[in-house]
Amino acid sequence: MPWTLGLVGLTTIFAFLIGTFIGLIAAWRRGGFLDGVLPPIFVITSAFPYFWLALLAIWLFSIELGWLPANGGYGIKTEEAWSWTFAGDVLEHSILPAVTILVTAIGGWILTMRNNTISVLAEDYVRMARAKGLKPWRIMWTYAGRNAILPNLTGFAMSLGFVVSGAILVEFVFNYPGVGWMFLQSVENQDYALMQGLFLLITVAVLLAILAADVATVILDPRTRDRS
Amino acid sequence: MTVTSGAVAAGAPGPGGFEHVVAETRRGFGRDLVRAVARNRKAMAGVVLLAFFLVLTLFPGEIAPHDPMASIFQPGLGPSREHWLGTTSYGQDILSQLIWGTRQSVIIAFAVGGLATAIAVLVGVSAGYLGGASDGFLSLVTDVILVIPIFPLIIVITAYEKSSGLTTLVIVLGALGWSYGARQLRAQTLSLRTRDFLEAARVRGERRSYVILYEILPTMTSLIVASFLGAAVFAVLFAAGLQFIGLGDPNAQSWGTMLYWAENNEALGAGMPLWAIAPGVCVALLGAAFALLNYAFDEISNPALRLRRLDRPPDVEPRDAAASGEPPDPDRVLQVRGLSVAYTSDEGAVVAVDNVDLDLGRGEFLAVVGESGCGKSTLVYAIARLLGPPFSGEIIGGQIMFQGRDMVTLAERQLRHVRWREFSVVMQSAMNALNPVLTIAAQMRDACKAHSTMSDREIEERSREVLRLVSIDPIHLHSYPHQLSGGMRQRAMIAMALLFTPDLVIMDEPTSALDVVAQRSLMMQIKELQQRLGFAVVFVTHDMSLVSHFSDRLLVMYAGQVAEFGDTRRVFDTPRHPYTRALLEAFPSIRGPKTHLLGIPGSPPDLARPPSGCRFSPRCPVARPTCHATPPRLVEVESDLVRCVLYDDAALERDPVAAES
Repeated sequence: MPWTLGLVGLTTIFAFLIGTFIGLIAAWRRGGFLDGVLPPIFVITSAFPYFWLALLAIWLFSIELGWLPANGGYGIKTEEAWSWTFAGDVLEHSILPAVTILVTAIGGWILTMRNNTISVLAEDYVRMARAKGLKPWRIMWTYAGRNAILPNLTGFAMSLGFVVSGAILVEFVFNYPGVGWMFLQSVENQDYALMQGLFLLITVAVLLAILAADVATVILDPRTRDRS
Repeated sequence: MTVTSGAVAAGAPGPGGFEHVVAETRRGFGRDLVRAVARNRKAMAGVVLLAFFLVLTLFPGEIAPHDPMASIFQPGLGPSREHWLGTTSYGQDILSQLIWGTRQSVIIAFAVGGLATAIAVLVGVSAGYLGGASDGFLSLVTDVILVIPIFPLIIVITAYEKSSGLTTLVIVLGALGWSYGARQLRAQTLSLRTRDFLEAARVRGERRSYVILYEILPTMTSLIVASFLGAAVFAVLFAAGLQFIGLGDPNAQSWGTMLYWAENNEALGAGMPLWAIAPGVCVALLGAAFALLNYAFDEISNPALRLRRLDRPPDVEPRDAAASGEPPDPDRVLQVRGLSVAYTSDEGAVVAVDNVDLDLGRGEFLAVVGESGCGKSTLVYAIARLLGPPFSGEIIGGQIMFQGRDMVTLAERQLRHVRWREFSVVMQSAMNALNPVLTIAAQMRDACKAHSTMSDREIEERSREVLRLVSIDPIHLHSYPHQLSGGMRQRAMIAMALLFTPDLVIMDEPTSALDVVAQRSLMMQIKELQQRLGFAVVFVTHDMSLVSHFSDRLLVMYAGQVAEFGDTRRVFDTPRHPYTRALLEAFPSIRGPKTHLLGIPGSPPDLARPPSGCRFSPRCPVARPTCHATPPRLVEVESDLVRCVLYDDAALERDPVAAES
């Protein structure tokens, strides 16, 4: 579990943060470079099968170039202990899987955030902020961004909840010692008890994430607060 | 007075905001769709890719060079003329396998897309249309399906079900992939349910099935297509993933299975990279075809996402600001000369404000009136320099002298320092104009921080003070906009506009969201504050009676032009322009004798194709032949302005018919 959470969980959070930021900027500079080039590219990459991208990454960076390790959570010879060498080794092993997840996951966030921001920018309160003569970055963050991100929170929570299931293929390709890998092992060994247990775990994770999203929405959107 | 201008509503979204054009264009939607797809590059790319794969699906035998399963060649060959993509470890031709593999992915995509969309439409539309308990139940099912982790579930199902053929895959993916589409369709149905055309169908006594099939579904074409495309992408990727980890039929002809065998034989390490790369590229391309179409559809059905640039209309020449040569008058807060504004639309530029001049003295109250779509809001937003991206309006000519500066040429950076300190804006609906996630205090603080070095304590003090000015108890300072009543929100916005006691306050229908009683008390308050603090007001409204007692001068606009401009009392007592007269006849008088109320026949012209001659001539009761031919000049009559040939002696002389009468 810590392996999956560490790798896929953190990557999902990064994908959301970076994607949201790029989407916001792209919509803010409408017609600019980011806005013109990125959306079509990410429409296409979001349709990539990421396990295949993982295969390609392994082929290019570990087999052909030999820069990064191709599988496992850490090296066979490394001792599992709290040491710098172990940490560095874990990090090195996580680069390829992390990057493949990031590349395929980020596109969706860029596109939705861009589209949300575009509709929010046409709202009267953004125009009002302009009329007030606020600094552009202030309008972008507290007026446009803050409101545009609200519809994305539930989606983000769902994706966090699906971290485990999304990890299955990546962990399979990289032989990464996480929950997804364990799940596939249980399927292969017809270990139904383990299979059901893991499935329950995955479902609970989704529900917890949605709960967290509701809490975040209440914090960020005052309109949802007082329904007494 | 409730007529909306076709030009502004259809092509160029006015300051009122963008509308999702979904329901209004029901008939001819199919034809428009084909045209829109042909224009959209992303859509075309998707169509071409999809067509390519469809051809491969239909005629694999004719296209593939070899039998895909026959292990008759030398294993592990690289690309050659005989085998373009090389051979597998089992001596099979990779290209042929690829071509035969297309069929399964395409079938899965369409079958799952179709099945999922059918369920989504059934569940979503029923839930939205029926409402009540059925809606509760169907929504619950949808949400449960939505949170089920589909991929692990499918793995478990296929693990139990030993023979996981194509049919199982389609049924499982279809049965689990519909929930997202159903949610959107339900939301759309809910919003359609109260629309007039559905009410009309119900009143006509149409059967429920008829209403759903012929009235609701056609308006949701774009959503249904989006749901289909989304499900198709999902199916292609999931099926490939399942087959890749060996949960499909290992003897099937599919891209996922090819990837499975390639991975098992370590094709990438063993010098057969194409074995693993090519099927992945195909999956990606098929997925991309659907994703591109989906994205393009989104753009087509939501015009806000499309970026349009203004092509300058050739007949409007940008007037050189410096050339007017008029020195700024120190008694005037605002001097507008030859201001023109255009919107972009599918049919080219639409000039919404055409060559408008106006003057505003210090502390003067100017009302701008006219029907919806006459350009009055556009005019004041142009003066406030609030057009431009993301709104499609753009100033195409003229000069706006405000306190000695030309606002048109002022850079945004310099403009920022003028804003709010010297002029502020009050918008139509405070509900939309106040940021919903910030308290009133925070929004006031924003403005103060941007323009002064006030301390937090001073800002708090000042905020309380302006709230008291508009008679709001300062305890509401730390409320969020949604916690206040409509009238209070509107007052709070006016309070905000007075933070720095500016010289000019621009008000765009600030009372139209209120009931008549609240309107009146707010107007009194605005007038009182204006007299006390001495700021000038430009007040936009479609309700002439509202401003009759409050404004000093009145600007009547028609179809983007000044129709009449003069002293308010004089205009009310002796209106000169036939349009002004018609407007006044449309209002009941409280004290005067009972008269017949007359509306204005016809509707405002389409600004994309303004009538030749006088723009009001098609609706004008006293129009004469010359009116339909030559556009009238704006003539000065006793220091007021009117755009009508009746007051233009020079033009009348040239017109024989007019001279007789």
